[in-house]
Amino acid sequence: MDFKSSPFMYAVGGIIVIFVLVQSIFFLVRAVRRGKELGISSEKMKNTALQSALFSIAPALSIVATVIVLSGALGVVLPWIRLTVIGAIQYETSSAQSALNAMGNSAGIASAVTDPEQFTTVAWVMTVGSVMPLVILPFVLKKLQKRIGKALGKNKVWADVMSAAAFIGIIIAFVGRAILGTGDNEANIIGDGAGVLSITGLIGSVAFMLLFSYIIKKVPKLQKLESFAMPLSMFLGMGMVLLVNYLLPAAYIIEWRY
Amino acid sequence: MKSYFDKTHTWGRIWTVAALIIFLMMPVAFSIHLNAWPKAEYFFKGLASVAIIFYPTGIIEVISYAPLLGAAGTYLSFVTGNIANLKLPCTMSALETSGYSVSSEEGEVISTIAVAVSSIVTTVIIAVGVLLMSVTGFVERLTSPSSPIYPAFQQILPCLFGAIGATYFYKHWKISIAPFVVVIIVLAFSGGTQVGVLIPVSVVVALIATHVMYKKGVFDKEQQRLENG
Repeated sequence: MDFKSSPFMYAVGGIIVIFVLVQSIFFLVRAVRRGKELGISSEKMKNTALQSALFSIAPALSIVATVIVLSGALGVVLPWIRLTVIGAIQYETSSAQSALNAMGNSAGIASAVTDPEQFTTVAWVMTVGSVMPLVILPFVLKKLQKRIGKALGKNKVWADVMSAAAFIGIIIAFVGRAILGTGDNEANIIGDGAGVLSITGLIGSVAFMLLFSYIIKKVPKLQKLESFAMPLSMFLGMGMVLLVNYLLPAAYIIEWRY
Repeated sequence: MKSYFDKTHTWGRIWTVAALIIFLMMPVAFSIHLNAWPKAEYFFKGLASVAIIFYPTGIIEVISYAPLLGAAGTYLSFVTGNIANLKLPCTMSALETSGYSVSSEEGEVISTIAVAVSSIVTTVIIAVGVLLMSVTGFVERLTSPSSPIYPAFQQILPCLFGAIGATYFYKHWKISIAPFVVVIIVLAFSGGTQVGVLIPVSVVVALIATHVMYKKGVFDKEQQRLENG
């Protein structure tokens, strides 16, 4: 049996998954209790949970896809653990690549790692390379949030527009990449740079969301469906991408930044 | 008596330290089990090239995401990762729909629920996906480049942020202009700029521009509405 996918490896992965689940449930239960004390309706809390769950499905599936990409070289378990905790797609791939290159393995994650020492080196680099936020959080978070809280507490309108500005700043970074971002040149993947498909996804989801907001505003009965509007717009945006991809002749599916 | 916020920080610290220990035990367990320890030279060489980017980014991420995720949301998000593509969108949409501000205690509760549920769903989907993959190869067929719905998966981020951005842009179009223009200019010259670099740039521009507009009285109508109750 491949040492990278032995029952021992799966057991370690299982322990980490259980830890993450228990921690999430712990904070979830605390928040729901506090929410009840504060008088937040249980419907509102349920809707939040439902919306969040719906939003997570598609990105989670794309994370599974990354596990698949990395599993060719590292087996299933290590990428699974790394992307369940702290991980993010761009970090994990570059950590693994960097560790393998340091050992003179120039193929990197393009070929299967068969030497246990190379494998553990990758595991160490991936883990130690990603823990920085967890090291500093216990020291800085409380102070950081107190300071922010004080600044925000001074003026309600200023606080509202500044927090909207921070959110918008993040959203625009992604929107900008959909309009003008280039893809991975080395990998030469079709569809990862800005082009007809990324703009279709962007405009499609924006249009559906605005349409739903308009309908919900006009028909108060539909208020209950508000929490579905965003995830549904995302899925419909993805549907538009497929439609354009299959209906438009290939010559028109241009990628202006590839 | 300790407030909910204070207790959240105490629990958050305990869980974060526990998480750190468990994660670091993972490579230790692998090394013991396989009786294969990395050579210090290779380990540090491999680590150096990623740490030089990831450590400063880690610090910037904590500073820029913490105000948006709430206290418990931040502790949880940094343990489970995938913040920009999962935890932040969930929190943003939850706060937008519920109408609470993240700096209020109600907002703290809502953001915690959003992040916790997202973490649970993601963890379960990845685990099930990994199992299905090892047994049947189902997920691989669904998301591989040969899958008919692969093009849609490639465009997840534009669709995700389009859906969330729509109402923000509509409501706060004045705030959106400056960061949009700057991000487009940056990408026009350097299209390969990754989101990790674009986010701090875009957020800082948005904050500065909004503060200046506030000082110039652009948001006076909102202020008046608030004062008049």
